[in-house]
Amino acid sequence: MSDMSQEQAIQTELTAAYPCLQDTVRIQRARRLYAAVPRERIGEVFAFVVRKMDFSMLCAITGLDEGETLGVIYHLARPDGTMLNLSASVPKERPILRSVTGFFPAADAYERELIDLLGFQVEGLGPGPHYPLPDDWPAGQYPLRKDWTAPDQAGPPRQGSENPDV
Amino acid sequence: MSLLKQAVKWARVKSPWVLHFNTGACNACDIEIIAALTPQYDLERFGVQLKGTPRHADVLLCSGPVTRQIKDRLLRIYEQMAEPKFVVAIGTCACSGGVFKGCYNVLAGIDNVLPVLAYIPGCPASPTAILDGVVKLLRSLESAP
Amino acid sequence: MSETRSRDVTIPIGPQHPALKEPTSFSVTLSGEKILQVGVRLGYNHRGIEKACESRSFIQSLYLIERVCGICSHSHSSCFVQAVEEIAGLQLPHRAMYLRTIIAELERLHSHLLWLGVAGHEIGFDTLLMYTWRDREIVMDLLAAITGNRVNYGMNTFGGVRRDISPEQKADILKAMDTLEERTKYYISVATEETTLIQRLSGVGVLSHDDAIRLGAVGPTARASNVKRDIRKDDPYAAYDQVPFEVITSDLNDVYGRTLVRVRELMESYKLIRHLLNSLPDGPIAVKAPRKMPAGEAVSRYEAPRGENVHYVRANGSEKPERVKVRAPTLANVQAVAHMLIDRYLADLPIVVAAIDPCFSCTDRLIDLTREGGGRCDVITWGQLHDYSLRWYKKQGMDLSKLNSRFKCGESS
Repeated sequence: MSDMSQEQAIQTELTAAYPCLQDTVRIQRARRLYAAVPRERIGEVFAFVVRKMDFSMLCAITGLDEGETLGVIYHLARPDGTMLNLSASVPKERPILRSVTGFFPAADAYERELIDLLGFQVEGLGPGPHYPLPDDWPAGQYPLRKDWTAPDQAGPPRQGSENPDV
Repeated sequence: MSLLKQAVKWARVKSPWVLHFNTGACNACDIEIIAALTPQYDLERFGVQLKGTPRHADVLLCSGPVTRQIKDRLLRIYEQMAEPKFVVAIGTCACSGGVFKGCYNVLAGIDNVLPVLAYIPGCPASPTAILDGVVKLLRSLESAP
Repeated sequence: MSETRSRDVTIPIGPQHPALKEPTSFSVTLSGEKILQVGVRLGYNHRGIEKACESRSFIQSLYLIERVCGICSHSHSSCFVQAVEEIAGLQLPHRAMYLRTIIAELERLHSHLLWLGVAGHEIGFDTLLMYTWRDREIVMDLLAAITGNRVNYGMNTFGGVRRDISPEQKADILKAMDTLEERTKYYISVATEETTLIQRLSGVGVLSHDDAIRLGAVGPTARASNVKRDIRKDDPYAAYDQVPFEVITSDLNDVYGRTLVRVRELMESYKLIRHLLNSLPDGPIAVKAPRKMPAGEAVSRYEAPRGENVHYVRANGSEKPERVKVRAPTLANVQAVAHMLIDRYLADLPIVVAAIDPCFSCTDRLIDLTREGGGRCDVITWGQLHDYSLRWYKKQGMDLSKLNSRFKCGESS
């Protein structure tokens, strides 16, 4: 299907409301848009696309270690199947996000994952258990950070000779 | 009590009651254990019954590679079982960690935590393999001199 | 969150419970027999898969990702493969798409039949467990014949699938669809005519349409609250945009609705599989894929038997993924469960939890027990809660164990 009119309409509407996104909204394929948002605008852009553009489903939140910064991607979707993936980066020394549980209560688990595995701080998220790490996990250890290796692990499996599968 | 006497005593119990416990598995082995109890495989004809509580069980069927979080619970379950008691590791993950060996949060195998008497490999261990393993276990304990 | 009074009792349940087969923790605060509050502690199954993928090649990661869940292994495998194929810009042959879809629907069959049995077990209707799991073996045999394994099929590779379906296997599958369709019609008649069953499941685990949307429910749990969402229709992948099928919904908003949705989805899947087999295109089953994936990212969605599965993959030009993120469907539904249980009876807990078809290994689950200050605290196992539930409902006059003997003669060979 080469008709990208829906995707283009989304792109137009978003960049009209937020000209700072002019160069960062891209259409990867049908039903997939990506937008890198400046850190200080992520809250309002999120609110806008959820309230005004019908992105009423939060599919997931991905956190990443980008080296100097920590990245976050909010994977939002509309009932018609179109996804808009909003990404932002925060400095590693102060990786602070505002909770989106006000919009999506289910984001609770997704945000706790960001805290446990990458060391984000999420403001506005109530107290709660660790997720997904165990209760006795040592503080300050963030497994998904690139420089973290498990202290007593043997390392990744031997590569050996691999047959390409096809 | 020596293992010999334990085995003789247990051999008299022709109806081993099993407790199934998942230590962090993907669930495939667990489903196959349940499937082994359904009509096509019918583990119950060997007197095996699935029980809900450790206090009624003779055999602990364990699946999964033992995540850190579950380790203490696994020990607690084992302690609640009455002697004689036996642990069977079902599935490659329970035997050695399987594909999860090397992952943080995983201890890679039941025998890092509990004494395992029988290993049933497979990813997942098929119901026929489970039947085979359980029957071999029963026979080996029965025929212990 | 409401204040709990000192005479409220918090009952910890789990993590060992034979029926759910996965370690999960619920923390339930009671007033008498009514549930005031439910806390869910997840994480017992957390194995560190996402991190592990970063030190494995793409193809090694594929085999690891497949084992996120042992019921919907193909859904995770396909979801991951789709994302990587998008990054690599691969165009799959049509035959590969159809084969991938056929396995997907066979997986849906075995999963829904599994669920039907588990649900039966939770309410004391064990005959249903035995019947449905016997039928499920037909599907397992088909999957083993096609792929070589009952679970963790290893069917996918980047660029297509690894095994083909022979004309003989096609004939076997079609024959099996006829048998299973007959049996499923029987289950539907049981589900729609047996008053004890309907009474037991109706009004239990209620989730309104608005709450289903607000709490982000997915899959049959959402569709039973009349939320018409199905990734196969909304965001088609594999061959779903080329085959006709209906999205099944119900407006009952309860466990009974979820039961009806799943049995009717079985019927749709039989039609889907027949259509896919009868219109299976000729051609190769895969295209060659590179070892190193170009830098890029992709989000892939898939309608697993439990609901929407989402994978995000980022590649950096090497032969290992930069980042793999998995959001399995049960994580989306678990908030809804906590909500459904509030103001209900403790005896409802097993079936309400079972009704979202929880696949905790996809999500990694934990259950914690909390102590309320001054309250009496009990630790009971899932097995004990299951028995309590059956006894409680027997007192209300709903004894489903009687169904076990009645249905033994209803069998069609």
